[in-house]
Amino acid sequence: MSFLLASALLFALGVYGVLTRRTAILVFLSIELMLNAANLALVGFARAHGLEGQVAALTVIAIAAAEVAVGLGLIVAIFRHRESTAVDDLSELRG
Amino acid sequence: MALLLPILLPLLGFALLGLFGKRMREPLPGVMASGLVLASFLVGVGLLLSGGARFEAAWLPGIPFSLLLDPLSGLMLLIVTGVGFLIHVYAIGYMGGDPGYGRFFAYFNLFIAMMLALVLADSYPVMFIGWEGVGLASFLLIGFWYKNPQYADSARKAFIVNRIGDLGFMLGMAILWALYGTLSISGLREALEGPLRNPSLLALAGLLLFLGAIGKSAQVPLMVWLPDAMAGPTPVSALIHAATMVTAGVYLVARSSFLYSALPDVSYAIAVIGLLTAFYGALSAFGQTDIKRIVAYSTISQLGYMFLAAGVGAYWVALFHVLTHAFFKALLFLASGSVIHALGGEQDVRRMGGLWKHLPRTRWHALIGALALGGLPFLSGFFSKDAILAATLAYPFGGVGFYLGGLLVAVLTALYAMRWFVLVFLGEERGHHHPHEAPPVMLWPNHLLALGAVLSGYLALPHPLPNLLEPFLKPALAEVEAHPLAPGAEWGLVALSAAVALFGLYLGYTFFQRKAFPAWYPAFEAWSREGFYVDRVYNALVVNPLKALSEALLYGDQGLLRGYFGLGGLVRGAGGALARLQVGYLRVYALLFVLGVLLVLGVMRW
Repeated sequence: MSFLLASALLFALGVYGVLTRRTAILVFLSIELMLNAANLALVGFARAHGLEGQVAALTVIAIAAAEVAVGLGLIVAIFRHRESTAVDDLSELRG
Repeated sequence: MALLLPILLPLLGFALLGLFGKRMREPLPGVMASGLVLASFLVGVGLLLSGGARFEAAWLPGIPFSLLLDPLSGLMLLIVTGVGFLIHVYAIGYMGGDPGYGRFFAYFNLFIAMMLALVLADSYPVMFIGWEGVGLASFLLIGFWYKNPQYADSARKAFIVNRIGDLGFMLGMAILWALYGTLSISGLREALEGPLRNPSLLALAGLLLFLGAIGKSAQVPLMVWLPDAMAGPTPVSALIHAATMVTAGVYLVARSSFLYSALPDVSYAIAVIGLLTAFYGALSAFGQTDIKRIVAYSTISQLGYMFLAAGVGAYWVALFHVLTHAFFKALLFLASGSVIHALGGEQDVRRMGGLWKHLPRTRWHALIGALALGGLPFLSGFFSKDAILAATLAYPFGGVGFYLGGLLVAVLTALYAMRWFVLVFLGEERGHHHPHEAPPVMLWPNHLLALGAVLSGYLALPHPLPNLLEPFLKPALAEVEAHPLAPGAEWGLVALSAAVALFGLYLGYTFFQRKAFPAWYPAFEAWSREGFYVDRVYNALVVNPLKALSEALLYGDQGLLRGYFGLGGLVRGAGGALARLQVGYLRVYALLFVLGVLLVLGVMRW
C-alpha cells in the first residue's frame, strides 16, 4: 500500500511540475517523474501479484531511455534555434 | 440545303454585326445588313421560281427539322425580305448618329432570320423557334433605347404579354402531338383528311394555337402591348410591329387552315375576336396624340380585319390583306418617322400641323398611306378590305353581322386615317420647328413602298377581273367551299364599300379640318386616349394582385433567409467560443489534459 501511496505522491509532484514550470527541461523532468511514478506502481503491484509487473516496468525503462534521447534532442534543437527553452514562447502553431 | 440560305444569311449578319458592329464605321453595318436581306430576298425569289423547295434534317427524336417553301410561305418570305429590305435601307438614314448603330442592325438581322425560320417552318416546333426568336428580337428592339426606364418597361410588357400567347401555342402543340404523334404541318394536314378522331380535343388544340396568334398579333384581349411597343425606333415599328411580326398570327392560322377549316366553331370565335379587335383598334385610334400610337392602333384594327377574313374561311383574303397592309402600314410608319426626323424628335400631333408645304416628298407618302389605309378606291387597301367584306358573305363561316361590322369599321378607319393626316400635314403650324425633308436614303424606300401601296391591290381584283393571288396560294391552303356571289351583288358591294370609304374620308377631312365636333366627342376622345382603360383594368385585376403575391412571397423568402442567417450566426458564435480555448500556451493544454483525465477517471469511477 505504501508503494502505491509513494507512487501517487510522485505522480502528483510530476503533474504539479508540468503545470508550473516554464522551462522545457524542467517540464521534461517532471514528465520523467510521472513516468517513474507509474514504474513504481507497477513494481508495487508485482510484489503483490507476481512478476509480470516487473517485466512491464523494465520494458518501460528501456523505452523511456529512447524517449529521453528524442525529447532531449528536441529541446536542444529548439534551444539552438531560439536561444530559449521557455514553453510559453512556443505558440507558433496556434491558429 | 439552298432553303437554309435565306435564314442563314441574315443570321450571319447578326453574328458579324453583333461581334464587330461596334468597330465598323457608320454606314457599313447598315449597308451590310441591308445587303444580306436583299440577298435573302433574291435567293427566295430564285427558289420560288424554281417551284418551291423542301429541306429536312434529323433533329429531335420524332421531330425532324423541316422547312418548306410553298406559295404560302413564299409570299410571306417575299413580304418579309422585300419590305424588310426597304425598311433596312430607310434605317441606314434614320438611325444615323445613334451610338447603338451596329447593335440596331444586328438585332434587325436577327429578326429577319427568325421571321424566316417562322415562315419557312414545316413543323410546329421549328415554327416555335422562329416564333420565340422574333419575340426576342421585338423585345430587344422595343427596349433599344434601354436607358429610358419607360422604354425598358414597354419591352418587358411586350415580352410578358406575348408569353401568355406562347403558352397557348405550346399547349396546342402538346395536344396535337398527343392526338397524332407528329408535329409536321404537312403530316398533320394528311392526318386530318377524313373524319376527325376527337373533335372536341382538336378544337381545344385549335383554340390554344389561336391563343398564340392572339398574343403575337395583338388581338383582344392581349392587344395591350402593341401601342407601348412604339417605344422602339420608328423602323422597328414599321418592320416588326406593322408589316411582318404581328402578321405571324395570321400566318399561323393560314398555315393551319386545314385544322381551322375543319373546326367551324373555332373559326367563328376567330372571326368574332377579329371583328372585336378591329373595332377596338379603330375606336382607340381617335384619341391618341402620339403620331406613332395612332398608326399602332390602326395596326391592331387592321390585324383584326385579317383575323376576320381568316375566321370566315377566306385564308387567301387574309394573306392578301397581310400583303397590302405590309406596304401601306410600313409606308405610314416610315412617313411618320420622316416627320419625326423632320421635327427633331417631336412625336405629339398637337404640336405638328401645316407640314404640307415643308415636306414635299413625305407629304405624298403620307397621303398615299393614309388613303390606302382609309380604303380610297383603286388603292391597295381598298381592294383587300373589299375582298374581306365580300368574303364575310361568300365564305361558309361568315354572316351578314360580320359584313355590317366590317363596314362600320371601314368608316371608322377612313375617319381616323384622315384625322392622322389632317393633324400632321394640314391646318396651321402648331410647333416651333424648322422642318427639313428627309435625305434620299430615307425617301427612296418610301417611294417604292408607296408604289406597292398603290399597286399591290391589283394582284387580286374582284370576280370577273383577273385574280392572280388566289390560284397562286390555293395549293397551300385548305379547301373551303365558298358560295361565290353573283357578279351584280359583288359589284354592288364593291360600290357600297367604295361609297362608304369615300364618305368616311370626306367626313374625316371636314370633321378634323374644321374641328366641328359634336357634343359627345370630347368625352369619347378622352376614353379613346386611354385605350378604353383596358390597361388600368388589367392592372387592377391581374398585374397588381400578382405583384402583391410576389411581394408577399419575397417577404416570406426574406424571413426564411433571415432565419438561416440566424442559424449560421449561432454556429459561428459557438465556433468562435471554442476556438478561444486554443490559446497557444502549452501549460493551459496540459492543465486541460489533466482535467480531462480526472473527468474521465471520475466518470469511470462513478
